[in-house]
This record gives sequence, C-alpha cells and structure tokens, in this order.
Amino acid sequence: MSASFDRLIDGMIEALRSHVLPRSGDEFVRGQIFSTIFALNGLKLTADWKAGPLLEQVRVQDAALAEVGRLAGSMEHPPIPTLPRTEGAAADSAAVEALRDDGDRILGELLFWASNEGARAANPAIAREIELFLRRSICEQLKVELAMTPKSMLHQIATGEEGA
Amino acid sequence: MAPPERSAQSMQDPTRAAVVLDENTVRSALERHLRRELGSAVNIDGFERKSSGFSWITYSFVTSTTAGTSRRLILRVGPPNGLFAPYSVLPQVYALQSLSGTRVPVPGLVSFDQGGSELGCPFFVCEHVEGDVPVPWAGSKLDEGHRRDIAGQFIAILGELHRLDFRGTQLASLHGGAEERDEVRAIAGWRASLARPTARYYPLLDWGGRWLLDNCPLPPRRTIVHGDYRIGNFLEREKRITAILDWELVHLGDPHEDLAWALVPTFNGRSKKLYGVLEREEVVDCYQRASGVQISAKSLAYYEAFALYQAAAIQMRAVRAFEVDNFNDMRMAVMASQMASIVRAFDRALEAAA
Repeated sequence: MSASFDRLIDGMIEALRSHVLPRSGDEFVRGQIFSTIFALNGLKLTADWKAGPLLEQVRVQDAALAEVGRLAGSMEHPPIPTLPRTEGAAADSAAVEALRDDGDRILGELLFWASNEGARAANPAIAREIELFLRRSICEQLKVELAMTPKSMLHQIATGEEGA
Repeated sequence: MAPPERSAQSMQDPTRAAVVLDENTVRSALERHLRRELGSAVNIDGFERKSSGFSWITYSFVTSTTAGTSRRLILRVGPPNGLFAPYSVLPQVYALQSLSGTRVPVPGLVSFDQGGSELGCPFFVCEHVEGDVPVPWAGSKLDEGHRRDIAGQFIAILGELHRLDFRGTQLASLHGGAEERDEVRAIAGWRASLARPTARYYPLLDWGGRWLLDNCPLPPRRTIVHGDYRIGNFLEREKRITAILDWELVHLGDPHEDLAWALVPTFNGRSKKLYGVLEREEVVDCYQRASGVQISAKSLAYYEAFALYQAAAIQMRAVRAFEVDNFNDMRMAVMASQMASIVRAFDRALEAAA
C-alpha cells in the first residue's frame, strides 16, 4: 500500500474524477461520487495513519536492538540508538512512522554486519545467533503489519470482476 | 519489460503520459505508423483497449487496405510512467522474431517503434491470436482434466523454450559483457530497482538480495528465460495453448528461474500445484523430459526465493510509480499491500535455499 496517506487520498480522488465520473451518467450516482470526493478531502484534512500499530512496530524494533546490544557484548558493531526511542518523542503518526523507518535501516545495518566476514571472524557463534535473531525479530515486526492488511483482492483488481 | 538496469533506454518523454492514454491520439499515431510501414493507406476499425494490464497497454483493431485485405492485429504500448518505465520494446521484439517458426507458439511480429517517434513511447504491433487468457489469481472454473491438459502443454512448451539455442538469434544480443553471468545480471537488476528511493526500506529484502547475489548457482545450461512464465501469460483455445505472451522480462539465464516462477502459489489460485492440478514432482518430471535439463532441488529452492524477491521488487515498483512518478492508477497504490506476507515468505524461502 502507498505509504503516504495524503498521496493515497489524492490518488483516490483522481481515480474517481478521471475514471469513474466520466463513465457515470446517472445523476444520483454522480452525487454519490462527489459526496465521496468531499468525504475524502475531509479525511485528508483530519485523519492520518493509526499511531498504535506504528508504535507497536517501534517497540518490537527497540526490543530487538536491545537484545542485539546484549548479545554483541564487546564486539564492534554499528551504533545502536538510546532506547526506548519513543520516550519524549512526539506522538503524531508521521513522527512515529519516521522512527519506524529509521529502525528498519538500523536493523538492516546490523543484519549486514552480523553476516559479514568481520563479525564472523570475531565470534562466529554469536554473529550467527544475532543474524538469526534479527531475521526472526524483523518477521515479528512484519506480523504487526499483517494484522493491518486487508484480505487480498488481487483477482478483483486484476480482472475487474467480483470475487471468484 | 525488464527493469531499466537491464534494458535499452528509450526516448520517452514523461510529459506525454496523458497524451498516450488518449485513444484517439494512439489511433492516429498508429495509422501514420502503419501507413509508413505497409506503404499504403490503411483504415483502422474496431480500435479498443483490450485489457487492463498492469504494465503494457494493449489494444486490438482490424486494418483494411485499399486492396481489400484485412487483418486483425494487436498494439502494445509501453506508457512513459508505467510500472516498468522507461520501457524498451526490444526484448519482446527479439523474442517474437527469434521464436517465430519454433515449437514455442508466439504471435507474429508486424512492426515496432523503439524510438517513440510517433507516440513519444515505444510500441509494437503483432498478429492477433485466437484464445482466452486463464485467470491465475483465483481457482479456475475449468474442470480438472482440462487444466491438466493445459498444464502439461504449458510445461512442455517451457521445455521447448529452454532447449532452443539462442546463439545466432536476436536474443543473443541480450547477453551482457563477455565475463558477465546473465543470471546474476537479472538479480542485480531487481536489486538496483529496490534500491531506488521509495517509501519503505525492508531490511530483509536488502539483506536477502545480497545473499541471492552472493549465492547464485551456476545454471545447468544458459537458456532463454521468459521471466514471467506463469498461468495467465498465454492464450488457450479448445484445450490448446495458442500463444505464449508477455515477453517483456525475457533474458538469458538459468532455466530453473522460469520453473520456480511458474510454481509460485499466487499464480496458481493459491495452490502449491501448477494450475491447481499438477503436483510439483509431476511438473519436474514433465519438464525434465521436455527440456533435457536435470533439475537441481537446491537451484529450484534458490529460484523460489528469487521468485519472491522479484515479486516484492515488482510491488515496490508499483508503489514508486504511484508515489514518486505520480502515475494515477489506484491499482499501483494498493499493489504492495501484501508486502509483509511476501517478505516473511521470502525469509522462509531463503532458509530453505541456504
């Protein structure tokens, strides 16, 4: 799904204006479309992504970062930020989303580090443990996203037909 | 269409996107093009957009000349801001030229314009082939016997494709540098595509892509790879496959790649069986007989991971087309909605392939 809330709303409005309205001759149907466009414009002004699931993802990331720091011990590794990262942070969704995206990049750096020659030479057992732990943890974080994912409508989207 | 990293750059002008989607403009440009190509006045009738594909835009039409001859043809246009823009028409043109007259059924190529002089983007014209496209996303309503027939032909044709000697054909020009491994080049192309700035960074995709690059097996033999060989990319009529379509991702590489892609459950009504009827072991047996290629379980596992990586890269390209390139198609906006499940499946596939 598009990550930008505003762009998603703009896209929906544009789809209705460009593709649906020109093919809708019925006065009532056109009224429904314009009402939907109005409601979408309202959403753009007043709504945003839910902060809760984003905060949950950041919490899972922070737990992973703390555990990697513990496992790595004295090994030299990419920097881990002060945890928890949400302490004192603004509660708005955009700020939490930025934290989540930043966390993904840090986890990526750590994953590359754990599987590179340097870490393996320093302590192969710990490096492997960290690599596997990080992969499991990232999959845990993806579970939070899965819980927010609607059932696939690929068939309907690709064919324009109601479900088979 | 190949990612831009492994395709010739076209001369597209993104500002012409809206023009390209206007059917009257497309039709006028097509008339000019055909008049020049065929050397006589051409009338176009029944011009209509054929499907709502995610990448190339397809139109069908009938041409008639003053001599009284008529032909039903297909036009395929690579839109300037489409899923895999900027497009090159050449891989598909080379495939249709090279495979004409072989046991791999393809539509006959009529003409093409790579430079985009008429429309501002590349396009090609080919013969219309009779048949229906099966829907891969949901369980088929066709009976099991029918699907077994088609699945058997589908694999037999893949075997024929992988038997072909591409040397001396146009497709040989898809080979990279002398020292470059074509199968590695295919992976690097998707990896470069994922590295382009977009909304989300997925650490497992980044790391797994590096693993795929570092662990790419040597192919049993280097073959033509369709690149999108799956249920839904062919025409069938009266229980016969009449044409293999959508050659935009054709490249040279490891034949395991096509087999693994065909087995992705998403393209088989969420079944692990090909077309919901052929068990994996049957598919491998049938394929080995048809191709003469000995399938390696390890390479197949590797390419099953690669298939998920490619699927993820395609979805991220769709989001990029919507968010960054402002391609106003809501199908692009929602295409990556299954990223979380794909990335998790990719991690499991990597574990199986390691």
